[in-house]
Amino acid sequence: MRLTSLGVVRGLVGYFAGMLIGMAVVVISRLVLGMSAWDQEAVWVGGIIFSIIGFLLGVGAMSDWLKWTRGVQTPLRHGPPVNQPAWTRYFGVDYNHKVIGIQYGVTAFMLLVVGGSFALIFRSELADSGITFLQPGTYNTVLSMHGWVALAAILLGIAGIANYLVPLMIGAEDMAFPRLNAFAYWLNVPAIVTLLISMLFGWDSGWTAYPPLSLRGPVGYQMVFWAIFGIGLSSILGSLNLIVTMLLMRPKGMTLFRMPILCWAILATSIIQLTATQLIGQAFLMLSFERTLGMPLFNPIYNAAGENIGGQPILFQHLFWFYSHPAVYVFVLPGLGIISELLPVFSRKPLFGYRWVALSSLAIALVGFLVWGHHMFTSGYQPYLRVVFMISTLLVAVPTGVKFFSWLGTLWGGRLTFQTPMLFTLGAISVFLIGGLSGPILATAATDLFLHDTYFIVGHFHATIFGGFVFPFFAAIYYWYPKITGRMYNETMGKLHFWLMTPGFWLMSLAQMTAGTMGMRRRIADYDPALGVENVQLLVTIAGFVIAFSILIMIYNLFTSAEVGVLAGNNPWRSRSPEWQIPSPAPEHSYARPITVVGEPYDYGLAGSTYIATAGAGDD
Amino acid sequence: MLKLPQSSTDRKHFMIVGALVVVTTIILGFFLLAILPIKAQASVQAEPIRWLFQLHLWLIAFLFSLVVVFMLYSLLVFRRRKGDTSEGEHFEGNTVLEIVWTVVPLVLVVIFSVIGLRTLQQATSGGDDVQVEAVGFQWSWTFNYPNGVTSAEMVLPVDKPALISLRSNDVIHSFWVAEWGPKQDLVPGMTTTLHITPSKVGEFSLACAELCGLSHWSMLAKIRVVPEDEYTAWMDEKLAAQNLQTASR
Repeated sequence: MRLTSLGVVRGLVGYFAGMLIGMAVVVISRLVLGMSAWDQEAVWVGGIIFSIIGFLLGVGAMSDWLKWTRGVQTPLRHGPPVNQPAWTRYFGVDYNHKVIGIQYGVTAFMLLVVGGSFALIFRSELADSGITFLQPGTYNTVLSMHGWVALAAILLGIAGIANYLVPLMIGAEDMAFPRLNAFAYWLNVPAIVTLLISMLFGWDSGWTAYPPLSLRGPVGYQMVFWAIFGIGLSSILGSLNLIVTMLLMRPKGMTLFRMPILCWAILATSIIQLTATQLIGQAFLMLSFERTLGMPLFNPIYNAAGENIGGQPILFQHLFWFYSHPAVYVFVLPGLGIISELLPVFSRKPLFGYRWVALSSLAIALVGFLVWGHHMFTSGYQPYLRVVFMISTLLVAVPTGVKFFSWLGTLWGGRLTFQTPMLFTLGAISVFLIGGLSGPILATAATDLFLHDTYFIVGHFHATIFGGFVFPFFAAIYYWYPKITGRMYNETMGKLHFWLMTPGFWLMSLAQMTAGTMGMRRRIADYDPALGVENVQLLVTIAGFVIAFSILIMIYNLFTSAEVGVLAGNNPWRSRSPEWQIPSPAPEHSYARPITVVGEPYDYGLAGSTYIATAGAGDD
Repeated sequence: MLKLPQSSTDRKHFMIVGALVVVTTIILGFFLLAILPIKAQASVQAEPIRWLFQLHLWLIAFLFSLVVVFMLYSLLVFRRRKGDTSEGEHFEGNTVLEIVWTVVPLVLVVIFSVIGLRTLQQATSGGDDVQVEAVGFQWSWTFNYPNGVTSAEMVLPVDKPALISLRSNDVIHSFWVAEWGPKQDLVPGMTTTLHITPSKVGEFSLACAELCGLSHWSMLAKIRVVPEDEYTAWMDEKLAAQNLQTASR
């Protein structure tokens, strides 16, 4: 087998070839226009744009479309590659949604490990006061990278869950647009490579990239802007695909209110992604234009009379948060959907108030568009806006409360069992509760004026993201692992993972919040011992390492169990959901015959009821 | 040993859980007050912030107990016993309950909006008996007084309402003295303001609270709050020194 038969290798060759070509194009254009040959901003931007296109051409994500432009028909090919080992399909363009789901999921997990490792690096530095091994410049870069790498991990993790599960759960053959699906995945890869390359040059603004700081720093910023633009475009395309799939490809009998509840969460998430992601893409492009072309968009410029004839820095913050706040709901809604999906299975009871849970996802998504300004209480915008955004933000508590109470209603009177997926679901509820309840205290503007940009915020949003994404993501991995591999994970190791990670996380959150109330600012490379937060910081660091260690156990468990785990059978959880009625691992073509929906999805405990029926020979 | 009822809708369950929620709320409330010692307590504007913060902690203690006690109780009482193969009780929801737990939080939102609005007004208003301009730059501070005095430390008289004007010419910074409570960003291209009435004499640390580049972590300045006569003396001394300097040029 030749190495170049792997799509990703061809892609990387295309990436670096594209980079050289792009740089050459800029240099030659500049010479033709009579400018000096070298301008690092312009040359790098040219290189980055061409390298991303080069990767997509190299990997073959656009091959079919290019053939279509020449009038060549290309049938949609399904199945493992010919003349090559089966595993190679995961390293190249493949149109099966289950393969793409795994590609997304594994990439996300790798990014989570990388992003987490960045955190461990600067957590070690913060374990005591005084600068020991990480100089402030490097500290700022590592901290900023932690932010975007972790966020990319989350976006890809959600896409992985959605891609693998949505078609399976609604009994569809595949996604509505398989080629677009593969393209959306592969767009992420060169974007992530670009993001990682930015580290070599450094950038120091944190993930928020507020100008004018982000207009002044090293050229690493340009790579971040374009990488995020790429990941954002992928989000938009992926969510479009999911919305169409869910709206048009459901089987007979599956009304919207009979969809598995996770699909509702993903529908709400996809609506946000489709409609809000442009804002951050545009905001980052504007930063790139201001840096490269000198367009005065955000940085103020003064004329002789001292009047500002340039840009307005706060405008960027509006554009940025108009995506980045709803994005929080992109991160957590699927996780909350997983909680709602798993609780009935392990409680052997219907989901309490299905319609309320389903609609609360949409309500959170819609209210989420009106609250971005709560990130800007101290920004210097008009004071009355604080009141508007305070009230809209507090409103988010209402639909979120509906979810919590409905989960309690689901547990109440059940026959609960506590396998690893259930443990992580319960852990998710407890952690998301910490994140959720520390929200209103930040929403009432007065308290936020103190807490903003302190470690309290750091504690709050990590609890939100861990409870809303990381814990449910792990629950989902353990839960659907048998469907993916055909084997069970090791239960003892799963439980060990849970009992290390959950208390570790509680401790970390609370200690971070304590540090914040004691006056510890966020994003600082070092702190004054007089603050008295050294012990607290040490606790946070230790807790961080415990969490990291528990995740190593998980990785070991997932790798070894794929070989030696007990055969799982079709439906180890006795779930009613369609994906558990087919063999494990899920076959290439998921459903041999089309399914129809004949009942409610979560009627556990109702004798004689089923959710789906498979059409027998002759009745279709 | 207490004998628990079989049916999940038996009133006895809810009485036990209710009692546990009350007890847990009280314990948790004091625990949160202890581990979250909010530092804002040395200005008039810090008081409402501190008060609202601690009010929130009690609400958090209650809501956290409500959810967690119900959850832990379920895990304990409704766990599958060995050998039991039955399914859970079949109920799909309860519209009255759903309406209750939508409307009650909505009422709480309205109450906290009103409280939040009033607290915000208290935390952001004040007089301008003393005026001072704070200029932030990468990575330090200067303070300018209206009489032309310029200083690297900020000195304010205690109990006098101060209006601090904030300006930056490079990137965004944020003016924060933790003991005083509120913070405010410095935005290039505009002047922002902060009302502070220091209520305690002492030395505090001003820190930049918005990541502003390489040495953001060390962008600090000394703040001194002194009795009024001491403030006047300091100001006179500064003025004299500055005039001497101007004269000798």
